[in-house]
Amino acid sequence: MSNIITTIAKQTFKAAFSTKATMALIILLGLSLCMATYVGWQNYKSQQNQRLHYKELVRAQWLAKPDKHPHRMAHYGYLAFREKHELSFFDFGIESFAGVSIFLEAHKQNTVNFSEASFANGMLRFGEISVAMVLQLLVPLLIFFLGYNSISAERESGTLKILLCQNVSWKQLLWGKTIGIISVCLSIFLPLILLTILLWASLSNWQINPDSGLRLLLLILCYSVYFFIVSAITVLVSAYHQSSRAALTTLLACWIFFMVIMPRVTQAIGDKIHPSPSKIEFANAISADISKQGDSHNPDDTHYASIKDSLLKAYHVDDVKKLPFNYGGYIMAEGEKISSKIYSNHQRLLNANFEEQNRITMLSGFLNPYLSLKNISMALTASDFKTFVDFQNQAEAYRYQLAQKMNKLQIDKMSNISPGKTDKPLAISRSNWAQQPDFNYKFTRLGTVLKSEMLALTSLLCWLMAVVVMIQCTARWVKTIPNQN
Amino acid sequence: MNKSIYTLEFKLFFRNTSTWIGIIMLSFMGFAGLYFGKTFIKKQEQVIEKAASLQKQQTAQNISYFGKDIGLFFYHNKFSVANPPGTWAAFANGQRDVNPYLISVTMLGLEGQLYDTDLSNPLSLLLGKMDLSFVFIFLFPLVIIAFSYNLLSEQKESGIWPLLNAQIDNTFLIIWRKFLVRLIVIFLLAIVLMLVAAVYLKLPFDATFAVVLALILLYLTFWFAVSFVVISINKSSNFNASVLIAVWVLLCIVVPASLNLLLTKKYPVPEALQNVINQREGYHEKWDMDKSVTMIPFFKHYPELKKYPFPDAKTFSWYWYYGMQQMGDDAAVASRLLIEKKLASRQYFTEVVALFFPSIQMQLGVNVLAGTDLDSHLDFQQAIRKYHESVRLHFYPAIFTSAELKNTDIETYKLEKHTPQNVPAIWINLLSITTLTVILAGLGYFSLKRRI
Repeated sequence: MSNIITTIAKQTFKAAFSTKATMALIILLGLSLCMATYVGWQNYKSQQNQRLHYKELVRAQWLAKPDKHPHRMAHYGYLAFREKHELSFFDFGIESFAGVSIFLEAHKQNTVNFSEASFANGMLRFGEISVAMVLQLLVPLLIFFLGYNSISAERESGTLKILLCQNVSWKQLLWGKTIGIISVCLSIFLPLILLTILLWASLSNWQINPDSGLRLLLLILCYSVYFFIVSAITVLVSAYHQSSRAALTTLLACWIFFMVIMPRVTQAIGDKIHPSPSKIEFANAISADISKQGDSHNPDDTHYASIKDSLLKAYHVDDVKKLPFNYGGYIMAEGEKISSKIYSNHQRLLNANFEEQNRITMLSGFLNPYLSLKNISMALTASDFKTFVDFQNQAEAYRYQLAQKMNKLQIDKMSNISPGKTDKPLAISRSNWAQQPDFNYKFTRLGTVLKSEMLALTSLLCWLMAVVVMIQCTARWVKTIPNQN
Repeated sequence: MNKSIYTLEFKLFFRNTSTWIGIIMLSFMGFAGLYFGKTFIKKQEQVIEKAASLQKQQTAQNISYFGKDIGLFFYHNKFSVANPPGTWAAFANGQRDVNPYLISVTMLGLEGQLYDTDLSNPLSLLLGKMDLSFVFIFLFPLVIIAFSYNLLSEQKESGIWPLLNAQIDNTFLIIWRKFLVRLIVIFLLAIVLMLVAAVYLKLPFDATFAVVLALILLYLTFWFAVSFVVISINKSSNFNASVLIAVWVLLCIVVPASLNLLLTKKYPVPEALQNVINQREGYHEKWDMDKSVTMIPFFKHYPELKKYPFPDAKTFSWYWYYGMQQMGDDAAVASRLLIEKKLASRQYFTEVVALFFPSIQMQLGVNVLAGTDLDSHLDFQQAIRKYHESVRLHFYPAIFTSAELKNTDIETYKLEKHTPQNVPAIWINLLSITTLTVILAGLGYFSLKRRI
C-alpha cells in the first residue's frame, strides 16, 4: 500500500523537475532565498554592530562623568538600545517598525525612537524581503503552481479513471501527490536550513546557545507543517475542481485573499474595535492620575504635606533641614515611586489594548494558516510585538532602578542644607557612577514564548488535523469522472 | 454593425461569473478601503482638536504651579504643533501611521524632542493600513490579469479560434475589441470609485483630482499593456496566468521589497543615534564647565541677546540653563545635517528606481499628492524647528530678565497648525508610466501581429 504512495510521490517529484517552467520557478525562488539569507545576515550584522557601538559609547560616557550631584546624573540618564536576536536575520518581523533606542531619565518615560520605518519612504510599505517572507509568501505560490493540476489534469486527460481502477485508492493518490509536492518543496528548503544553521552558528561565534537551537528546530518544524498544509490544500483543491484552470484560479484567489488582503483587514478591524489612545491622551491620563495621588510639583499637595509632617514628628525636629538625611532626595524617591507605578500601569493597559488589536489577527489564524505561522515565526525569532513590549518593560525597570539609585545616593550622601546662590554646587565622587550597571536586554526563554504563542500553535495544529482528515475522507465526496457538459 | 458587435462583446463579458466576482470584489474592497482610510484620518483630526484644548488647560495648570518662577514654567510648559491631514490623506494614508502628526515640545533642546514617536502598535504598522490607494495599486492589477489572461488562449482551447480566423480578415481586431471592453469596464469602475471617494471624502474636483485620476488610469493601462504582451506570446491560459501572476508578485512585492532592503543597506542612518548622543553630551557636559564655555558661543549665536546682563556670580541661573540647552542643539547640527543628507539620498534613489517600476511610482505619486510621504513629514519637522526657534526667541528676554510670567503673552499661545507650502509636481511619475505603457503596448502589438 505504502508502495503505491511512494511511487506516486516519486513520479510527482520527477514530473515537477522535468517541466521547464517549474524549474525556472524553483531556481528563481532558490536565488531569492539565497539573496534574502545573505542580505538578512548583512543587515543583522550592520544593525547589531551599530547598536553595540553606541551602547559601549554610552557606557563609557556614563563612567567618564566627573564628580557631581547625583540628581544631575539621574537627568543625564542612560540611552538603552534594543538588541537584535541572532535569529532575527531569518524573520525581520516588526524590527523595522519598532524603535531602536530609548532615552531613560528621571521623572520621565520616553518612547522608543528611531525605527527604520521613520526614515523610510513609501517603498517599505511593499514589505521587506527576508527568508521568512520568501518561505511564507512565495513558497506557497510555488506549491500552487506545482500542484494545481495534480489531480485535475489526470481527470481531464482521463487517466484518473484508469488509476483508480488499478487498485489505487483516492487516499493513496492524494497522499502520494501531497508527499511528492512537499518533497519538491523540501528539496529547496533543506539546503536552506543547513545554510541558516551555519550562518546562525557563525553569528553566535560557534557558541551554540541551547535556547536558540531549540527555537531554530521548532521554526523548521513549524515551516514544514505549514508547507504540508499548503501542499495538501493544493492537492485537495485540484481534486475538487473539474478543470485545472478553475483550480488554479481558486488557488490564486485564495493566495491573494489570505496573504495580501486578510492581514491588513483583520488588523484594521482590530484597530477599529479596540481603539488605542493617542499620545497626548495617554500622557494626560497619567498626569491626571499623578495629581490625584500626590503631585510633588504642587507646593500645596496634601500627600507630600502629610509625609513632611510625619517625618518631622518621627525625628522630633521642626524643620526639614534638621532631618538626618537629605529631604529633597527622600521626596524625589517618593515621587518617582508614585509616578512610575502609575505610568507602568497605564503602559500595561496600553500594551494590553494593542494585544487586543493583535488578537483579532491571531484568532484569524484559525481561518488562515499563514497568519498563525507568521505569528509563530516572529515569536521564535524574537522579532514580535511581545519581545518589543518586553524590551520596553526591562528598559523601564532599569530606568526606575537608576533614578532610585541616584535618589538613594542623594539621601545618604548629600547635605541637607542647600548651598547659597553663589556657592559651589554639592557633589559626590564620580566613583559612585560605576555602581550603576550597564543596561543589557535579556531575551525571554523559549518556554515563555511558547506559552504566549499557544493560540497560534493550536490553530496551526488544527489546520494540520483538518487537512489530514480531509485527505482521509475526500473519497466520499469527490467525483472521479468529469461532468459531461 | 460595429456597434452591435460591441454590445455582443459586452454581453459575453458580463455573462461570465468571474467578471461579476471581480467587479464585486473590487467595489467591496474599494468601499472598505475608503471606510478604513477615512476612520484612520478622522481619529487623527479628533486628536488634534483635543490637543488644542489640552494645551490651553495644561498651560493654565502650569501657570498655577510654576507661575512664580518663569524659568521653571518654561521648563515644564509644552507647545504643540500639529500636522493636520490634507483632504487626500484619507485616500492614501501613506506614512501618516509611522510618523507622528502631533509633536509637543518644551523650550529645551529640540533635537532631544523632535524624534519622539507617537504611541503605535508595531504589528499594525507592519501589516499596513487599508485605504483606497491600496486597492488601486494592488488589487486592480490582479482583476485586470484575471479578466484578460485567457483572451486569446480561451478561443483556441475551446476550438473557436480557427472558425473565427476563417470568417474574419482582421483577427487582430477581435482581440482588440475584447481588450477594449475590459478596459472600458475597469476604467468605469475606477471612475465610479473615485466619484464615490470624492463624495465620501469631500474631495474637491480640482487639478489634484484630475492628476490623481490620470495617474490611476495610466497605471491601470500599464497593467493592461502587461497582460497584452503576455497574451501576444500566444501560449496556453495556464501559462499566461502563471506568467502574469509572477509579474504581479515581482512588481508589487519582490522588487520593491528587495530595493528597499538595498536602500537600507546602501544608506544606513547611524547618524540618528549619533545625533541623540551629540545633543545629550553637548548639553550635559556644560554643567561641569566654566560658564563662559556656554555663554561665549551662545552670544555668538545670538548677538542680539547680549544686551541682557548675565548673572555671572550665581551658581545657577535660568539664563545659563537655557544657554546650555541651546549648546546641545548646536552640538547636534552636524549630525542633523548628515541625517538630512542621507534621507535626501534615499529619496533620490527611490525616485530613480521608481522610473522603472510603475507600482512604486504610483505609491510614491499618490503619497506625494496626498501629502503623506516622508518629505511632507520632513517639512513638518522643519516647521517645528522654525516655530520652536520663534518661541525661544520670543520668551528668552523675559526669562533672562526674570520678568513676571503674567506680563508675557503666554496665554495667547495656541496649538500651531502646520500648512504645507509647496505644491507637489508629479509630471515625472506620469511621464514614466506613460513611456513604459507605450513601449509595452507597442511590443505586444508587434508580437501579436507576428504570431496570429
